[in-house]
Amino acid sequence: MTKRGNIQIAVYAFVCLVILLLPFVLGNDYLLNRIARYLVLGLLAMSLSLCWGYAGILNLGQALSFGIGSYCMAMTLKLRTVPVQTGAGGLPDFMVWNNVETLPWLWVPFHSTTFALLAGIGVPVLLAALLGWFMFKGRVTGVYVAIITLAALVVGNLLVIDAQAYTGGFNGLTDLAQLELFGITFDAYGRSTYYLCAICLTFSLFAALALTRSKTGLILQAVRDQENRVRYFGYDVAHYKSFALCVSAGFAGLAGMLYTVVMEFASPTFMGVPLSLSVVVWCAVGGRSSLLGATLGAIIVAGMQNVLSEQRAFLETWTLIMGAIFVLVVLFLPKGLAGLSEAIAGRLDRSRPSALVSDAVTVEKNIALPEVRR
Amino acid sequence: MRAASNHLQLSDISVSFSGFRAVDGLNLGVARGELRCLIGPNGAGKTTCLDLICGKTKPSAGSIRLDTRELTTLEEHQIARAGVGRKFQVPSVFRELTVRENLEVAHCKSVGVFANALRFGRSTETDGLEKLAELVGIEDRLGQPAAYLSHGETQWLEIALLIAQNSELILMDEPTAGMTAQETRKTAELFLRLKGRHTLIVVEHDMGFIREIGDVISVMHQGRMLAEGTVHEIEADPEVQRAYLGSGGISHA
Ligand SMILES: Nc1ncnc2c1ncn2[C@@H]1O[C@H](COP(=O)(O)OP(=O)(O)O)[C@@H](O)[C@H]1O
Ligand SMILES: [Mg+2]
Repeated sequence: MTKRGNIQIAVYAFVCLVILLLPFVLGNDYLLNRIARYLVLGLLAMSLSLCWGYAGILNLGQALSFGIGSYCMAMTLKLRTVPVQTGAGGLPDFMVWNNVETLPWLWVPFHSTTFALLAGIGVPVLLAALLGWFMFKGRVTGVYVAIITLAALVVGNLLVIDAQAYTGGFNGLTDLAQLELFGITFDAYGRSTYYLCAICLTFSLFAALALTRSKTGLILQAVRDQENRVRYFGYDVAHYKSFALCVSAGFAGLAGMLYTVVMEFASPTFMGVPLSLSVVVWCAVGGRSSLLGATLGAIIVAGMQNVLSEQRAFLETWTLIMGAIFVLVVLFLPKGLAGLSEAIAGRLDRSRPSALVSDAVTVEKNIALPEVRR
Repeated sequence: MRAASNHLQLSDISVSFSGFRAVDGLNLGVARGELRCLIGPNGAGKTTCLDLICGKTKPSAGSIRLDTRELTTLEEHQIARAGVGRKFQVPSVFRELTVRENLEVAHCKSVGVFANALRFGRSTETDGLEKLAELVGIEDRLGQPAAYLSHGETQWLEIALLIAQNSELILMDEPTAGMTAQETRKTAELFLRLKGRHTLIVVEHDMGFIREIGDVISVMHQGRMLAEGTVHEIEADPEVQRAYLGSGGISHA
């Protein structure tokens, strides 16, 4: 297991290194921005893999955390732009159009970028804690968790669209300033933004990997397997599941913040049902119980979507293709691409004859299963 | 029987399932370090009795005390933390996890989510876990998913999990089901070793096994305690024999 563990770290490190070195090979800033976007979506998929793949909690509302993160970032950046009508320090333009006269209290703390950064992660975490407490203390499981989280997403989405005077409604928050941190300006089409995303992704991947390898990670997998058995070993299952949901929401919030920086706007579609379901597909394609698999799944599928939907022929049929991919993966690759690559690696490892023999012995032992005694 | 010093004391415990009284005014006291066998015909309520102790089922009336602590108001994980371990009638292990990981889940000093998030990899305790796997004869299966184990091995694994959990009170529901005669003997030996350090309640059908391990035997029938005594007393008890009529006699129940 340790050997397997070391290989796993090496693979993760290799992929992250490739991502970090990409700008040296790729001179095209437009393309870098595109890839930064996929990296952020990869982070989003990883966050779902953490709670779906490891703890067995299918959160169909993952985009809610993502959207909240995205809006938190957009709010602080919006307050940094100089509005045409009201001048420096004045009201954001869309509020003027909606006849809002003073800055709503919800917006005031977003004058501080630090607050916004904390809120972008903290609000999703708190919301997940609340939702988790309510669901898991009440022992809600399986498909009901999926339904409740999806419902929470729909409510959040409607609230944002409905409160047009405070959120920009359908249009979202556009015309944002560039993020400035530690004296660095993050231009969406500059390398700094690419590195910001790449470094955040690397950090998150390794932090999440560490979590999955901790005792808590092990107990979460036990919960995924048989949560009722876990209780009789003294673990509070509701705590563990809420924790997984919260950590996952935190990463999704971080991804949302980065997405605003890369896209230069926030939109209700960032917390929409279609995006949330796409994340599930990405995870399934990449392999939901592999953090890296889910990340790459998102990068590959979202990248493909982008390339294909630029061609007229595929513009309309993309959703169909996505559905087909999902069905095929569920049918033939239940562990996704990560499972496929593991199986191939396992084959190569086992091509030595001695291993084959021990394999056969294992199989035989398993066949001699029914030991009858009365 | 109702000595205040009992490790576990069930008093007038009742529970019904949609009108059917599965356990009906049950009293059971077990002293610290005792190995108590619980027998009774099928449907007598033995499994339900263990369910009540470990919190899987909540009683409609009565009290269950572990030392001085009332268990009926606690949740399952709190009861487990108070010192109750349970083996289920249908072997219940984590099939997706390896045998070693199963043991690691069972053996844990801290149950808090934050403390465990900072706890990594192998420590000195893994040595103990390997010895434990050796004790129950699954040491060469440590790296394999528990799903690959045979039925007998799964029984052994769950017994090992309970030893790893190291609870003061261990409840075993038909631990030898599906084991060979030789394995059953080994289980008897193991239980005799656990006795004294742990309090054990073992639900069993196999009278041979019970003769080997049992001091005091409790017999349940239709949700009530029918008789309590040594193997000889129980086998000679006319009421017990009547209860087992129709289920083929006590030794074949
Ligand atoms: N969850 C339940 N719902 C309904 N009836 C139950 C339930 N659990 C047990 N029973 C009934 O209670 C009685 C006692 O069952 P059980 O405790 O499993 O018996 P034993 O383990 O002694 O064979 C049986 O008649 C069984 O059908
Ligand atoms: Mg039973």
